[in-house]
Amino acid sequence: MRNSKPPLAVICTALCQARSVLSSIPYSYCQSRCARTLKIRSHVARGTTFRYTHLHRAPASLSTLHQPMEAKIFRWWAGRILRLCTRRSSGAAAPGSGATIFALSSGQGRCGIAVIRTSGPSSGHALRILTAARDLPPARHASLRLLSDPRSGEPLDRALVLWFPGPRSFTGEDCVEFHVHGGPAVVSGVLQALGSVPGLRPAEAGEFTRRAFANGKLNLTEVEGLADLIHAETEAQRRQALRQLDGELGHLCRGWAETLTKALAHVEAYIDFGEDDNLEEGVLEQADIEVRALEVALGAHLRDARRGQRLRSGAHVVVTGPPNAGKSSLVNLLSRKPVSIVSPEPGTTRDVLETPVDLAGFPVLLSDTAGLREGVGPVEQEGVRRARESCNFLATVVASVGAQSPSDSSQRLLLVLNKSDLLSPEGPGPRPDLPPHLLLSCLTGEGLDGLLEALRKELAAVCGDPSTGSPLLTRARHQHHLQGCLDALSHYKPSKDLALAAEALRVARGHLTRLTGGGGTEEILDIIFRDFCVGK
Amino acid sequence: MFYLRGCGRWVAASFTKQQFPLVRLSSDSAAPRTPHFDVIVIGGGHAGTEAATAAARCGSRTLLLTHRVDTIGQMSCNPSFGGIGKGHLMREVDALDGLCSRICDQSGVHYKVLNRRKGPAVWGLRAQIDRKLYKQNMQKEILNTPLLTVQEGAVEDLILTEPEPEHTGKCRVSGVVLVDGSTVYAESVILTTGTFLRGMIVIGLEMHPAGRLGDQPSIGLAQTLEKLGFVVGRLKTGTPPRIAKDSINFSILNKQTPDNPSVPFSFTNETVWIKPEDQLPCYLTYTNPRVDEIVLNNLHLNSHVKETTRGPRYCPSIESKVLRFPNRLHQVWLEPEGMDSDLIYPQGLSMTLPTELQEKMITCIRGLEKAKVIQPGYGVQYDYLDPRQITPSLETHLVQRLFFAGQINGTTGYEEAAAQWEKAREMSQGVIAGINASLRVSRKPPFVVSRTEGYIGVLIDDLTTLGTSEPYRMFTSRVEFRLSLRPDNADIRLTLRGYKDAGCVSQQRYERACWMKSSLEEGISVLKSIEFSSSKWKNLIPEVSISTSRSLPVRALDVLKYEEVDMDSLAKAVPEPLKKYTKCRELAERLKIEATYESVLFHQLQEIKGVQQDEALQLPKDIDYLTIRDVSLSHEVREKLHFSRPQTIGAASRIPGVTPAAIINLLRFVKTTQQRQAAMNESPKTDQCLRNADRLQERQL
Repeated sequence: MRNSKPPLAVICTALCQARSVLSSIPYSYCQSRCARTLKIRSHVARGTTFRYTHLHRAPASLSTLHQPMEAKIFRWWAGRILRLCTRRSSGAAAPGSGATIFALSSGQGRCGIAVIRTSGPSSGHALRILTAARDLPPARHASLRLLSDPRSGEPLDRALVLWFPGPRSFTGEDCVEFHVHGGPAVVSGVLQALGSVPGLRPAEAGEFTRRAFANGKLNLTEVEGLADLIHAETEAQRRQALRQLDGELGHLCRGWAETLTKALAHVEAYIDFGEDDNLEEGVLEQADIEVRALEVALGAHLRDARRGQRLRSGAHVVVTGPPNAGKSSLVNLLSRKPVSIVSPEPGTTRDVLETPVDLAGFPVLLSDTAGLREGVGPVEQEGVRRARESCNFLATVVASVGAQSPSDSSQRLLLVLNKSDLLSPEGPGPRPDLPPHLLLSCLTGEGLDGLLEALRKELAAVCGDPSTGSPLLTRARHQHHLQGCLDALSHYKPSKDLALAAEALRVARGHLTRLTGGGGTEEILDIIFRDFCVGK
Repeated sequence: MFYLRGCGRWVAASFTKQQFPLVRLSSDSAAPRTPHFDVIVIGGGHAGTEAATAAARCGSRTLLLTHRVDTIGQMSCNPSFGGIGKGHLMREVDALDGLCSRICDQSGVHYKVLNRRKGPAVWGLRAQIDRKLYKQNMQKEILNTPLLTVQEGAVEDLILTEPEPEHTGKCRVSGVVLVDGSTVYAESVILTTGTFLRGMIVIGLEMHPAGRLGDQPSIGLAQTLEKLGFVVGRLKTGTPPRIAKDSINFSILNKQTPDNPSVPFSFTNETVWIKPEDQLPCYLTYTNPRVDEIVLNNLHLNSHVKETTRGPRYCPSIESKVLRFPNRLHQVWLEPEGMDSDLIYPQGLSMTLPTELQEKMITCIRGLEKAKVIQPGYGVQYDYLDPRQITPSLETHLVQRLFFAGQINGTTGYEEAAAQWEKAREMSQGVIAGINASLRVSRKPPFVVSRTEGYIGVLIDDLTTLGTSEPYRMFTSRVEFRLSLRPDNADIRLTLRGYKDAGCVSQQRYERACWMKSSLEEGISVLKSIEFSSSKWKNLIPEVSISTSRSLPVRALDVLKYEEVDMDSLAKAVPEPLKKYTKCRELAERLKIEATYESVLFHQLQEIKGVQQDEALQLPKDIDYLTIRDVSLSHEVREKLHFSRPQTIGAASRIPGVTPAAIINLLRFVKTTQQRQAAMNESPKTDQCLRNADRLQERQL
């Protein structure tokens, strides 16, 4: 707050809100070029980082345009932080037993209202933080509240909130329900805001149910269907995580987890064997260097995170098939805009083209791919490789004419035969031995309704099931754990108590392995015994 | 009935090498002429002695059966006790009033705390022990333990009877048959020896069956266990040669002196029996390329190294070190075997080369140029019983009231071969088996140490849920809650529970632990209540590197976190009310440690509670996972659960391959069973789950 330019800080947060109004200035421009993130460490809320965006070269037009708004928001924001600080120092935030968990509990996909639930001792605290320190609403009564991000003060949504103090709640613990507007931006904003409240973390698969169970809140009939649900949840989460971790980000995460595991293993080896067996010189120093480098990389990534994770949500639909089947035409037809260049020549599309579209009411990431064929130039071969790879991470495949069915049969597959206009009306139809398929003509649009209906069914199966993990939630999870990892790394100080330093690394690794999987003790021991000659 | 008040003296009096006749005393009971005990412990090794004394402390009339009374307390292979991780285990055994720590405080010749500079959570208490003294002190202690009878004799078979219907298991053990055909009855039996486990000693290409000279391997017992269906695996280990002390040139080697002052193992001791200046030093030397050369040139003469028997991932022998990490210098610690022993134990030189090559290799090493090998090193291969066949209370799934300790994981009873880490492990298992065998007799709930309560808990949980493919070693890196489970606070963690739940702790020790606990709590709250500005702290304690830019008050507890501050300097700055906390040295040191870890422990506590909640959800013991209908589980999961038989949801979730969905299914099953039970009888007697949940809550309070 002592910073000299706080008013500027708010412009960007206002921008997020007023983005539609200010569409003349692209938001991403502000993000990437003009904005940088500052950290203020409040000495009151020790160790808690308030992050706000500081526009230091905002276009002049902007700051003049929105001055009243800016001042208003700033006043509000400053007041909030003050209140937050006083509340912290009074110790009201002390979390009780067990962590508090949160999750999106309504179905995913386009819906009017989304319900986000929390359960655990810090629920009340989280509710107060998100509703700008207003008193808790009366128990079990719906109240209208303005939700805002505790870090930036950015308003998120006007929502109905319900406060269920334990034990009279779904899980038997203190619970809060936020009924927010169903848009992805709002939901993900609220989830991220919750993730930033100390003591809160995203729920693991089935965790609400387990808590309810542990507190004797479920009767047998309610538990009946649970196992299937949990199974679906974990499976969906695994696939979701895989998709999330596909590409560069996944590569980064796995690399970080590997580095951290190795550094931890070396520190552990130094603790367990340093004095009895001879470890080489510089084990700790090397680990230290690696941890510091990791800290820098993670910090840079998190500051840059918003751009990277934009619209990976929604089901992933890949169009694949042999060359010149009309895949690009289909993509253009579905997205109602010319995404891909179409030509009668086979091999026109050489790369994976992704476009976010609204298909039958579901947010969908539609991918056009290169036609699958061998023996062409290196560029197209790479395109074919990418096409095949993208099939590994998709939710639904729309395959065109005579498609070789993708290798993994567990994927949802729609077989579409294009160019039905070329079939003569009285001539023989497609071969009878073909699997179930749809006929379509991209040229005339015949069969499009059927395809959309089929897609809707498939997408409902993928997204509409309330049990499947939501991409928004995955994203919140992602950010939560990366931030947790970074915070833990900042406590790594090997010069002092090495057991404490190792604990910081353990916590950090715990966060990363929640994203990448693995993380057992045996992994550490394997590295120790591989890298060091220990044991007698 | 059988218990003789003076039995300690009785055995002590007859403690000569003659064979004892089986004790037969007539009594008024209905079973005349057959001795009857509460607990029989078979084997007088580390596990056996701890188990027998623990059972006796719990109030059970206990019989310790051993091949020879004069080998009780004979130390295995390595003349040292404790170390990193192992020292933690010893402290925990001591917190449960076990023997070994007290004996070590009376028998050591070199006491040293490892990891001094790495933080008190990972300090490793260690000592070199005088073999002769240890044996003497141990025998004195064993033979003077009330309720404990010691008898020589080899066990030939178990007496099995019909199982108790309210527990699982094929049958129930009710006594043992000795080699001479006589029988002894008991309510519980603890098996700690393993001479029946087909041990083979390997030197070079020679192999011969192991076992002490003149001992008949108890074939009947081995056959009975096999017939009952116990699953057996095979492991290998080794021991280094012993070198004549006067043939070593110590003057050119690095000398390691003991700590001054010595830190005792036991909570009840202020100090050890010997002054630091009277203790013996250890020496350090290194291998060199010529050692590598001898190993590599003679691999064809070394069947132990070649064989496919599963070896551990770590390097147990000098051969494996050379093979896996070539071109390095490896440490060799030269450790004394006792005050008046003329043997030196070369730690790190475990080997199975032919005898003549062993001497050739040793004389290549600096300081050992003229060394004489008194006894060659050798390898041992042996069977072990898969530890997944026992419960966390160390009772076997198959046979009711039969407990395994020690050898379940391959400790064989070959005195020479059990290494230092096996000792600590055996003793921990021994103490737990002894307590539980006794509790079983008095029909009390088992005493299980959880992963969140101690290294003992981690050890037993790892073994019973994950099994093992190599001799299990206790590392601090295996322990999730390392900062909470420290050597300094083992008494707070276990003594109070041991007193209340098991009854294995003496009144005196219990009172001491209670006093310590309340003093610590009081001290911490006083330290929290003292608040000054940082500049005032800087004035009071100039050496503290506290930043004075903050204007907020700082608690004394936070000042104590600084490395350069201890209770003494704090008490000097604020004599009132802190002075009284410096009077007891131990209290002052423990307050400092508590302060160091305070902030992290707060977070760890939350996690611990989560784990404990899962552990409070008990699975019925009698589920037949393979056939059970109303739980939908995959075949793979069923088999895993069937083999490991986890006792709680927490343990089940740690078994690799058991999915979250399976866990929910199990939860549902527990719920159904609970309801059914509640409907069947209103009495809470059988409602294990409820009781445990209550106990958990009580502990949390």
